[in-house]
Amino acid sequence: MSFLDVLEGLRFKKASSPIHKLDPRVKFALALSLSTLALAFKELLALIALFTAHVPLILLGGVIRQWARMMKGASLFAFFIFLTNFLFIHFHPGYAALSPTFVLPISMALRFLTIVGAFSCFFLTTSPDDLGLALERHLVPFTKWLIERVPRLKGAIDPYGLCFAFIASVRFIPTMVEEATSIVDAQRARGLELDRGGLLKRIRGYVPILIPMVINALRRSDELAEAMESRAWGAVKERTSLYELRLKKGDAIVMALTALAFAIAVYVRISIPIPL
Amino acid sequence: MTIIRANGLTFTYSGQLRPAIEEVHLSIEEGEFVLIAGPSGCGKTTLCRCLNGLIPHFYEGELKGDIFVTGLNVKDHSIRELARYVGMVFQNPENQLFALSVEKDVAFGLENLGLPRSEMMELIEWAMKAVGVYELRDKAPYELSGGQKQRVAIACVLAMKPKVLVLDEPTSSLDPFGARQVLEVVRKLNEELNMTVVLVEHRLDLAVKYATRAIVMNDGRIVLDGDPRDVLSSKEAISIGIDVPKVVKLYRALQEVGLTLSEVPIAAEEMVQLLQEVLKR
Repeated sequence: MSFLDVLEGLRFKKASSPIHKLDPRVKFALALSLSTLALAFKELLALIALFTAHVPLILLGGVIRQWARMMKGASLFAFFIFLTNFLFIHFHPGYAALSPTFVLPISMALRFLTIVGAFSCFFLTTSPDDLGLALERHLVPFTKWLIERVPRLKGAIDPYGLCFAFIASVRFIPTMVEEATSIVDAQRARGLELDRGGLLKRIRGYVPILIPMVINALRRSDELAEAMESRAWGAVKERTSLYELRLKKGDAIVMALTALAFAIAVYVRISIPIPL
Repeated sequence: MTIIRANGLTFTYSGQLRPAIEEVHLSIEEGEFVLIAGPSGCGKTTLCRCLNGLIPHFYEGELKGDIFVTGLNVKDHSIRELARYVGMVFQNPENQLFALSVEKDVAFGLENLGLPRSEMMELIEWAMKAVGVYELRDKAPYELSGGQKQRVAIACVLAMKPKVLVLDEPTSSLDPFGARQVLEVVRKLNEELNMTVVLVEHRLDLAVKYATRAIVMNDGRIVLDGDPRDVLSSKEAISIGIDVPKVVKLYRALQEVGLTLSEVPIAAEEMVQLLQEVLKR
């Protein structure tokens, strides 16, 4: 399995599910809460509960295959986390008293998988378009607020530009991948060897791939700027947006449930000792 | 009404010694469909850039003479101001689409103008329907063919309701089918909305039948300007190296052997008709 396959576990695909329809901010809050709690607990039982808590979301969102792929990729790291913890407990006398030998290492690996899983779920079910909208919705007022307090920053931050950069970078990923493939093919046809020789030679092999890609990217940025200008980029101070994020009833319910569950978990963490 | 007027327009890109266009005098009336042809590097693209203010506001260099578009002096108005009057479609469809869906892309220009949502919706729907991409509104750019992308690019500028549509080699990366579809859309906009069109095109076989006027440029100057039939059948057009349509070549070949048809044909159907007339005689 290659690195790109793992990244597949973060790539959004258009679909319609209750999870896809949720407001991106609610989903982000959900992923953030899960991750925070995963960091707050070190007991195995709690972490099992947290890990299982995000599985229904994956199932409802219908992204189980991509998620599984991500998990497969992450399991290698999880194994290393397990191994390091296990070795430490065994060979470091001070630790052994802390917990039974296997439990803590497994918890730590599970903690990592919970965080990765929660954010994988977020990225798999949130369209970059929605992400950009959420970014714009909050970045613009935030910049305004910031400039009011620090007038020196006026003109230094362009929130619309930042949002555009984010959307455009997502939009051009498939284009760049296609371009990279054709450059690799072209250079191979000229005798470039990419999968032979030692590490250094392989790295050097990628130079003839990178140079055309960088040049293409520079040329593209020029053409993009030209096209943006031609379509009145920056004509008015306050750009409008075709779509606006609105919290719906479902969003409010999920948000309330998340907050409630989070509060309960915090209470448990503080006042109820967990056996394992 | 004269919609584009250039007087002694000369532009030299900074760092270049020779001007890219020199002493261009041009006057285009509202509703004209102007086809600009000429060998690579003859200044076609530079002329287009002067029409929406990319020159002198985006490209640095020395601009002499005057150019007025819809009555506005391009020198005194920014590109973003001119964007409402001149829609510019570029060669590479890939690099003019920035959003993740067709609909959002068409909205881009209107969002920049700060239009309220309800007004935007109406314009977007109208523009997408006018170029026949309404069904594709939820697609991402990488899910579209080249011809579809270029039509979306047209919709993007069309939504801003420009008076002039400038297209700089819009079909050069397209297959013949996609190219024809794009040019058909341009023709429709010209005929039905009386939109002034300036089209730079190498595929004269396809494009010439839509044009009401043809301009040939060479070495930064306009060398031929007039009715497409006259321009393309002239000796100069061939000597400059314009890709003259095959039917025009046939017309000239027949003329050389002593058979002069009553009119210069610019489409195969026209040629067939003219030949049938001759055969009847």
